[in-house]
Amino acid sequence: MISNISIALMNGIVWGLIMALIALGLNLIFGLLHVINMAHGALYMLGAVAAWYLIELTGSFWIALIIAPLFVGIVGIMIERGLIRTIEDKPIITIICTFGIMLVIQELVLMIFGGAPRRIDSPITQRFPIFELQYPAMRIMIAFISIILMSGLWIFLKKTKYGLWMRAVVQDREMAVGLGIPVTKVYMWTFAVGSALAAFSGVLAAPIVSVEFMMGREVLIMAFIIVIVGGMGNLAGSVVAAVLISLIQGVGSIFVSPSMAMVFSLAILIIVLLVRPQGLFGE
Amino acid sequence: MPETNSGILEIKNVNKSFGGLLAVNHVNLSVKKGELHALIGPNGAGKTTLLNLINGILHVSGGNILFNGQEITNLSPHRISHIGIARTLQITSLFPGLTVHENVWTAAQSRKKFFNPFLPARRWRDVQEKTEAMLELTGLKEKASLICSELSYGDQRILEMGIALSTEPKLLLLDEPTAGLNSQESMALVKKMRTMLSGQTIILVEHDMGVVMELADTISVLHYGSIIAEGPPAKIKENEEVKKVYLGTEDA
Repeated sequence: MISNISIALMNGIVWGLIMALIALGLNLIFGLLHVINMAHGALYMLGAVAAWYLIELTGSFWIALIIAPLFVGIVGIMIERGLIRTIEDKPIITIICTFGIMLVIQELVLMIFGGAPRRIDSPITQRFPIFELQYPAMRIMIAFISIILMSGLWIFLKKTKYGLWMRAVVQDREMAVGLGIPVTKVYMWTFAVGSALAAFSGVLAAPIVSVEFMMGREVLIMAFIIVIVGGMGNLAGSVVAAVLISLIQGVGSIFVSPSMAMVFSLAILIIVLLVRPQGLFGE
Repeated sequence: MPETNSGILEIKNVNKSFGGLLAVNHVNLSVKKGELHALIGPNGAGKTTLLNLINGILHVSGGNILFNGQEITNLSPHRISHIGIARTLQITSLFPGLTVHENVWTAAQSRKKFFNPFLPARRWRDVQEKTEAMLELTGLKEKASLICSELSYGDQRILEMGIALSTEPKLLLLDEPTAGLNSQESMALVKKMRTMLSGQTIILVEHDMGVVMELADTISVLHYGSIIAEGPPAKIKENEEVKKVYLGTEDA
């Protein structure tokens, strides 16, 4: 029982960090562009599928981990330039539009990749002794990479010119325009970074779950719950909420079935919406 | 009344009517380079309307506005700010969630071209130097890493001016910088303004007579949309008509 719980805790943290990446992307795009990106789960899936092909091609998970997010980032730029740009500031239309993009990506992947789930083998097969049990070292690696990516994002936002521009645009778009910040370019890069984060999340999740064209659906719902619970526009809140929800769900699924454990997340969502509608860490 | 053509900003016979109400009535105004020109007048005299006409938020009903000899009548606010007219608004002229340093930096980079998006903000040498210089000038250097919303109201006003100045405007429009400040804070702000704003061309709209008399080179008095007097502070103080409509019995 004890070891069950410690495994569930470990899994909860690892999965929480993966979820944090996808939720950060979603939150970043929402915070800046005010776009509720329904295609975000599809971009996560696209990252995993791209990784599968890249691993077939190069044999290296690590190359896939770098190239797949770049590819999805470029897809993100095309979506932003081609579609989102034209319907900016119309929230309902962006929901419908990004929902359409989700369907298009899913169907394209179904056509090319097929409907059968495929596996990506973990590049690290060693086990790591922790809490008197043997835990897959790959999962620890995944958690580690997630933390590095999040730190990278934090440094990007805090220390670089573009990061500062992004935060300025979030604060006051009119004033940012007035001060000569190239707001449309900032939008484009934000969408690219957000999409790449979803893809990173997909690639890192791939060795744990199986890769298939519908894998983004459940994750998208989870990501939305995380963003709302953590507070919309609050990036640190998303990370904390991701790990928290994932931990509760992980531990919960020891006692009840995994799909019942989903009820816990929804219960958290409802309680947070009742008590703190602005999210746990929202203002 | 000096009616020269040497002004950096020339307002010629400008009208603005809202429906039947003439808010600005055939106003002529000339602002010379380097002077602080104050607009005063009772509530509803048309001061803020006049500022809004200058920076393009409102369209004139008649007349012309020239800036550096160039026609700017009814250009968009965006174009006008690009030409070099900056304004601090009464409400938001800073990013409340960014630090003081980040605010000034964002303004300081506004006239620069950019190349590398991943460039660390602190390594952009000339913008960084400009930012440091402005922090020095505003006296906010020690508070540079504070989030703006943590600053006192008076400091926020100083910062707003610093931000506006960092965009290197050719003409700065200040709309009631002391609004909401107590008399102590507003005197401190005036002291700061005198060092910060020297040499700048400024139009100041202000209620507080003490502030205006302290800072202005020239004062124009608006009453029901018309300019009823114009001149240096000492002359305006003596003007009988001004005393009647605006200053009342109060003696600065």
